[in-house]
Amino acid sequence: MSGDRINLDNVSRFYGEVLGVNRVTLSIPPGITSLVGPNGSGKTTLMNLITGLVRPSRGRISVLGVAPSQPEKLFRFVGYSTQFDAFPKGLTGSQFIYSFLRLSGRPAAECRELTARAIKQVGLVEAAGRKVAAYSKGMRQRIRLAQAIAHDPRVLILDEPLNGLDPLVRSETIALFKRYAAEGRHVVVSSHVLHEVDMISDQVVLMSGGYVVAEGRIRGVRSEIQEERPMQFLIRCKQPSLLASKAFEQDRVPDAQRRCGVVEARLLPEGEGVLVKTRDADAFCRALNHLALDGIDIEGVIPADDNVYSVYEYLIGSEEATQ
Amino acid sequence: MIRLWCTQVLAIIRLEMKKTFFARRGLWVYLLAFAPLVLFVSHSIAIGHRRAELERIARDHPVSRAAFNDIQPGMTRDEVTQKLGRPYTQWSRRIRDGHNDQRERSHWRYTDGKSELFLSFEDGKLTSIHRSELDTLSQVSRIFAGVFQSYYLRLAVFFGCVGVFVNLFRGEMLDKSLHFYLLTPTRREVLLAGKYLAGLLATVVIFTSSTALQWLALLWQFDRTTIAEFLSSTGWSQFSSYLIVTALACVGYGSVFLAVGLLFRNPIIPTAIVLLWEGINPFLPAALKKISMIYYLQSLCPVSAAADRDVPGLVQLLISPVQPATRSVAVLSIVILTGVVLVVAARLSRRMEINYSTE
Repeated sequence: MSGDRINLDNVSRFYGEVLGVNRVTLSIPPGITSLVGPNGSGKTTLMNLITGLVRPSRGRISVLGVAPSQPEKLFRFVGYSTQFDAFPKGLTGSQFIYSFLRLSGRPAAECRELTARAIKQVGLVEAAGRKVAAYSKGMRQRIRLAQAIAHDPRVLILDEPLNGLDPLVRSETIALFKRYAAEGRHVVVSSHVLHEVDMISDQVVLMSGGYVVAEGRIRGVRSEIQEERPMQFLIRCKQPSLLASKAFEQDRVPDAQRRCGVVEARLLPEGEGVLVKTRDADAFCRALNHLALDGIDIEGVIPADDNVYSVYEYLIGSEEATQ
Repeated sequence: MIRLWCTQVLAIIRLEMKKTFFARRGLWVYLLAFAPLVLFVSHSIAIGHRRAELERIARDHPVSRAAFNDIQPGMTRDEVTQKLGRPYTQWSRRIRDGHNDQRERSHWRYTDGKSELFLSFEDGKLTSIHRSELDTLSQVSRIFAGVFQSYYLRLAVFFGCVGVFVNLFRGEMLDKSLHFYLLTPTRREVLLAGKYLAGLLATVVIFTSSTALQWLALLWQFDRTTIAEFLSSTGWSQFSSYLIVTALACVGYGSVFLAVGLLFRNPIIPTAIVLLWEGINPFLPAALKKISMIYYLQSLCPVSAAADRDVPGLVQLLISPVQPATRSVAVLSIVILTGVVLVVAARLSRRMEINYSTE
């Protein structure tokens, strides 16, 4: 299994006295994985560790079975788009991609072909002959992305890749990530933009203060914390009061199968529905089916905090506030 | 594998070429390299004009070189005039000696077209004779040796290598663009080799071409026959030796400053230490002299630079004389020193990290 995953085993990195990341143990499967956390939480350090730009003070890392200390092997299948907004001087967009592709030892013709393809993928065909120094921020972001994907990597690591992109390019870029993930590749993305993370991620790694606070699929992370933070459902129905009372009643029935862990039910203004908090989301959903069969007209059920915003808020927001 | 490494090294050299040759911040390297050329060209032009002028004067006031040798101190002005004729220029002045006595001092100049004779008379008696030769080839080669060893090797090539090689890694750290290299499937050792060769190519081209041009500039004042005779005797061998020494200086200092740029955040201090070490080389005991580049480079120079007559006696006492190394030992030692520095740098490059925020 470890051969197709990015594994970090008890990895720590200190910059002198300053903590970069501490005791991080992760096993990242194929698909889109988002690193989420406030500034200074260790996302970039983690990406730099995975790509060997910095070395761990402790612990071991392997990317599809290859150690980051072997760049000659690692970067045959890894592409990394960093946040560093600087480029070698005097190069045009296509020269930049081509020159660094040549370092892989590929023949010139193949490099030219790969360069053209990468530039097309990021929509920079018209600007490819211009100096990178004259590019806008969004174009520089795209040319970095082009450099990361030019050699068609199996593992794509992207530090804030959507920063500075206009909405159209943003959606094209997200589509590219999704296509990569659908092909069974690893796409590891760090982002501050939670709605994008929520939209694209197969799994998230929540980081704070150099530690991994939670990891896994958003739903999985959410259900892990539902004991302290009951899950919220917004139920639209014509009889919200009846639904609320029935929901509480369910917890008192002798049949344990029908109990649903409801801890709070709040009627919405204008009587459009009810907001229910439960410690057992699956049981509550089953109970709702029973209630519907009992004759309550339910128009819709929306999980109100089953997303990365809420998970981030619950796990990190409070820590940020105390910091 | 070797083929892959060669391809990668060539790709690195291509990427570095523009930076090493045409970087705006590297302009001063060209100034250092070509400053002596400006001096030598000016010198040749001045000497050429002087030679033409003396030849013209010699035609108007012909004097034979043999007659110069007959002039002895104590001769009267008439005796001198009898042997050499009237000088082409002369001036005199009266100086007061005590209250009433006045002395007459006069100065005469003669030329045979190639050298000048300065005669000083006091009260009509010849008191001093000074003969000044225009540049001869042996003088010129001594001048070149002096400038080459005391300025060109110790300062121009030294600081030129600092400018080019330190920037190969440190400059990119400061520009925050080094990571692009580290994100390619290239062994760090290959990256180091590629950058070193790129720097070497630039410095060797810049400094050896300057050496060659300086040499040509100095010879330019002589006529074709004299130059051809000189080149066919020792000239070509001296010329090729200087080119080789220049290239070896780039090889040696280049490796040192590549390592400095790789290992030190502030290269000024290690550069100053190396400069000091190379500078105090003449005063070091023989064993320590041999742990420096300049000792081997000077051993390879075809003409030894004459010691400066103005150096105080005490300082001259501190200079420890030592036999120069043989050619083969000198070349081998530079290659070994370079190899050791590069191997250490290559090993350390595997531990190199990108941490721009601390730069």
